[in-house]
Amino acid sequence: ISDQKPLGCWSVKHGQILTCPVVCNFETHEYIAVHDDKVLRIWKDEDINLDKAFKATLSAAVCRIHALPLGGPLVLFRGGAVRSLDVLLAAPQQEIENLISGEAIRWSEAFMEGQQPILIFTTEKDGDFFVYIQKPKLSSLHKYKLEQQESAKPLCFTAHITNQTITLLCLYSNDSVYQVLIPLYQDTGEEEEEEILSKSLLLNLSVSGAVLKGTSFVVLDKDHIAVLGSLAAPGKEPRECLTIWNTKFQTLQASKELPLGTSGQLWCYEEKFFLIHGKVLTVIMYKCETSSLASAVGMLKDSQTPDVSSFVNWNTLEDEELVVSFQSQESVALKAESRMNLRSRRSTVAEEQPETLSVGQLLLNLKDASTYVLESELKRLMAKAPTPDLQATIGCVVTALTDRCKRNPKYYPQNFLQQIVETRDLSYSLCPDLMAVALEKKDMHLLQICLERFPDIPEEITYACLNAFLSISEAHLQSIDVNLDSVVCYIDVECNNGEVKTEIVENGFSAEMDQDMCDTKMPEESQSRRDGESCPVGPQKAALLNAVLHSAYTETFLLPHLKNLPARQAILFLRYLYYLYVKCSEKVNTTLPGIRCPTINQIMDWMCLLLDAHFTVMVMLPEAKELLSNLHKFVRAQVRFYSELNKIEGSLRELQRLNHLRESQTYSIEVLEII
Amino acid sequence: GRVLCLSWHPSGTHIVAGSIDFFRVIDVTSGQTVQRIMVNHHVEKAKRECVVWAITFLSSGTVVSADSFGRVQFWDWEQGTLAESHTVSTSAMLSLAVSEKEDSIIVGTSTGATYQLQLLPVKQGGQEKRWVRTKPFQFHSHDVRAVAHSPTALISGGLDAQLVIRPLMEKMQKKGYDAVLRKFTFPHRRLVSCARKARLLLFQFSQYLELWRLGSTEETGKDGEVLSLCRMPEHLVQLKSKGPEHIYCSCVSPCGTWVGYSTASRFHLYRVRCDGDSVSLRKVPKVPKLLPPAYQLQFSADSDSLFVASARGSVHVFQLLEPGGCKHLHTLRPPSGCSEAVYLLAPSADGHWLAAVSGDWAIHIYNLKCFKHHCVVPTYNCAVSALAIHPSTNNLVIAYSDQQLLEFSIPEKQYTSWSRAVQSRGLHRAWLERDSPITHITFNPKNPSHILLHDTYLLCVLDKSLPLPDDSTLLMNQSTLKQLPEMARKRQLHAFKICKKFQPLLFMDLLDENCLVVVERPIMDFKTQLPLPVQQKKFGT
Repeated sequence: ISDQKPLGCWSVKHGQILTCPVVCNFETHEYIAVHDDKVLRIWKDEDINLDKAFKATLSAAVCRIHALPLGGPLVLFRGGAVRSLDVLLAAPQQEIENLISGEAIRWSEAFMEGQQPILIFTTEKDGDFFVYIQKPKLSSLHKYKLEQQESAKPLCFTAHITNQTITLLCLYSNDSVYQVLIPLYQDTGEEEEEEILSKSLLLNLSVSGAVLKGTSFVVLDKDHIAVLGSLAAPGKEPRECLTIWNTKFQTLQASKELPLGTSGQLWCYEEKFFLIHGKVLTVIMYKCETSSLASAVGMLKDSQTPDVSSFVNWNTLEDEELVVSFQSQESVALKAESRMNLRSRRSTVAEEQPETLSVGQLLLNLKDASTYVLESELKRLMAKAPTPDLQATIGCVVTALTDRCKRNPKYYPQNFLQQIVETRDLSYSLCPDLMAVALEKKDMHLLQICLERFPDIPEEITYACLNAFLSISEAHLQSIDVNLDSVVCYIDVECNNGEVKTEIVENGFSAEMDQDMCDTKMPEESQSRRDGESCPVGPQKAALLNAVLHSAYTETFLLPHLKNLPARQAILFLRYLYYLYVKCSEKVNTTLPGIRCPTINQIMDWMCLLLDAHFTVMVMLPEAKELLSNLHKFVRAQVRFYSELNKIEGSLRELQRLNHLRESQTYSIEVLEII
Repeated sequence: GRVLCLSWHPSGTHIVAGSIDFFRVIDVTSGQTVQRIMVNHHVEKAKRECVVWAITFLSSGTVVSADSFGRVQFWDWEQGTLAESHTVSTSAMLSLAVSEKEDSIIVGTSTGATYQLQLLPVKQGGQEKRWVRTKPFQFHSHDVRAVAHSPTALISGGLDAQLVIRPLMEKMQKKGYDAVLRKFTFPHRRLVSCARKARLLLFQFSQYLELWRLGSTEETGKDGEVLSLCRMPEHLVQLKSKGPEHIYCSCVSPCGTWVGYSTASRFHLYRVRCDGDSVSLRKVPKVPKLLPPAYQLQFSADSDSLFVASARGSVHVFQLLEPGGCKHLHTLRPPSGCSEAVYLLAPSADGHWLAAVSGDWAIHIYNLKCFKHHCVVPTYNCAVSALAIHPSTNNLVIAYSDQQLLEFSIPEKQYTSWSRAVQSRGLHRAWLERDSPITHITFNPKNPSHILLHDTYLLCVLDKSLPLPDDSTLLMNQSTLKQLPEMARKRQLHAFKICKKFQPLLFMDLLDENCLVVVERPIMDFKTQLPLPVQQKKFGT
């Protein structure tokens, strides 16, 4: 299609009419056409003239031919009989029985179920519709009658097989899609009785007063169907539209206007729609995302849908309300309408989807339940299989917990909250009150985990955490369980991993050895050492501060808050940063060992930020003076060292070159003793 | 237009040939172009020409092209439509290879990067599959001119003179020796040959040969001492090969007066005469035409004849005539026939025997006195990397690429008892786990129990009179031994005396009882001579 050139073109003689769609047998790469009801033509790519192609005249009129991926083509006759093409070609003039009397075939479809082909077709007679299921291999035929619908009749059908059940979807003239389930394997005892198939309403094709007069439709996946039709709003010209509907949430997912008009036909292969728009064949790619939180908040990378995008708004989940918004036309007007629409329809579909809707309800019910009941219910809820909206559900759960904490000061499910934050990928915006509650309860460990895991903490909260960490007494911290991973590897330990052992394996590459982590012993602080040499804070506090250093922030937003930091805390923090800086500089690669350690850039950025915020205070305070002067001396020494290194870089390089030159031209006679 | 690459359809019915801006599909039976596809059809900046550097025909009929715009494209050749296009890199794609199962492709680029593309299902467990660029690798600094795809590894070779084998970890069952990235800088072939008697070395470069006379000294000293030279080494001749072809093999005769080399299409023989300071070089006229040319050259020990390894297992024997002539004497062929070319030759010092190894790894031994096939060494399922015939015992010593060493007695047509002892005992683990194969074997005429071997990283004197080391003893024990007193050494001695002082080792030969010549080729030497790689803009520079 990209080249837009026809790959082949064949035509029948003047006066002959093609009477059913041409199919391609992909196993043999042959095309099969029927003209004048009974004449079969089979040809290949190389054949140019259709007249000279293989011809077989049959004894009965053909209704349709269905190409199946494995079983070979099936021919459906007007009389309802089915033959495989191979059988027909063996004896073209064989007698074809008539299975249906006076009924006209409206639609047919073929499937493979396991190894056997299945053909389903619907017929009409005097306003009654019948469904036939044929298994040509078993030569079995089932006839069903479709349940009557007052003042409406089916316009279009489509079907698919899942779990040995045929799902037949019918588009009715009352703008609704009905679903009919037909079991494939059933005991054949009551064969004589004409079974009546009951149907259930799947979808009502109306949106904000506008009604979609569907002409054809296809099933995209288990939750989505696409309908082509004209959208008729009262007082407006009907416009032809291609629409994608979510049958699970009863929502219109996307629509695309087709102003040039269509033939009313829609095909769909391999995630592409094919339709005739005006005079051209239009191909539209689509993608059905499973409804997820990501798509709800617009975080999803742009999908392949070219000019229509849609998303579900999850904000109203607690009210058990789903709102759809369209980026295309009429988005505002549709919004309010569809909300109401959905509410009124809820009663009809509620039984089908209790799970998705029950979360908010459950939380409401549990509002006044006892603590134990609440927690066990919530745990049960979270233990369920992950659904697309799990994230949102967890967010609701956490919000419910924090609400309860606020109401009841004695209640604080520390372990449960920790467990949720550690095991789920939450973010600050999903549970905005959580950190505030943790701050209030002085739950340092939870704050640490949140700082490490949440990507979107506001600067105000980051500052509040920093202040809390700096203010809390070391004695109190001793009793708290804090994750010390980020500090154990460098705090006041004689590091013995200075030399990294690398072994040269002899094919020109060096195998990477696991860098052995140094021991995690923690000697007592010795106050005798100078600033920058011993850690000014305990390991717990250091670990907490590291969590702050690690969190993301924007300088402009953090600075005003940081100015509020009391002078004592500011100096302590600066002292700690200085200590980290000295530690970093000890190594050639200026990185601290261990996991989740602050990087030198983070340390420097915070140091600058802190000095910016508290410059005047620092200058005035006597105890800051020595610290600042030490810091200054250290930085100056560093600068000097690196500038000297820069100066001799050229010399070192020259030395290396000379060395290399001398060696490469060596011819020598040496004494070699081999024992 | 110019054809830059081509590929056969696996069924052999069609050929696809890549050119500039387009590629063609040619029907083999009719010889006609059946499809011509423009590759820059959709590029708007089509002013630049798009060179199709590499192309592959998949059995499904899909044509995969790699072009100078950095794209890998999948075409349905019958319909002439583009199925998929992946812009893998901003630099040109130079090479392409597909795995046997046709589910994985490796491409090489001009920046030294290689990329893997894999055919993966779009959905887990789904039927529909698409090509996805999966793994990028950067092992080269320059153009990656050739790539290959083995069932378990990606292999790439570039202008930076490196061959890299990158195992695919998902195909590796266990963490073993095969699961290691390997880089090869030197070919596992002899590039230097030595005229023992004349003390000359012939160096083979890609386009020329250099002949050097070795320097000498009159001093002696202790281990490790560097002696002062009384005569400097002398560059005698540089012999340039005409035309663009690379030199494939070369050899200098033991007497140092004959030099032969062969390119892909021609064989040349020269007579070298050194009278005092003057060196004269004369081409030997009317050299017998060889078709196809030589794969390996070897002079006999008495410099009277030349053995030329050729296709289909044959070895031509030329007689060298004074003052400068050459005539075809005989062609040796394996009695059962062979489809592969001979790539290694070893004549015996007494001129009685010749061992020849062909590409099917069979070692044939010929009797040169009556030009008859003598016997075949029992086949072993590994490539032979070096072999030599012992001057006094006529035992053939064979080194295999899996580091096994075997000794085969030619007169008795069977493995020697020492070889059987080695096999039953097994070689030291450290020896077997070495990475580069033995590329040259020589002997010490004064001490028949010594076999001298070398690979790229070590030279070894194998003393058959000493006990073999077992896995618990240290294999490379020379430095330990040197620190031990004389008495204590005795108990520590074992057969493998290994010296790793010279690396990377290109060549080693024994000139006489006390004199060993060793050629090192520092990697930095030619790394610095490489042209600059394609300039890549790095962030912030």
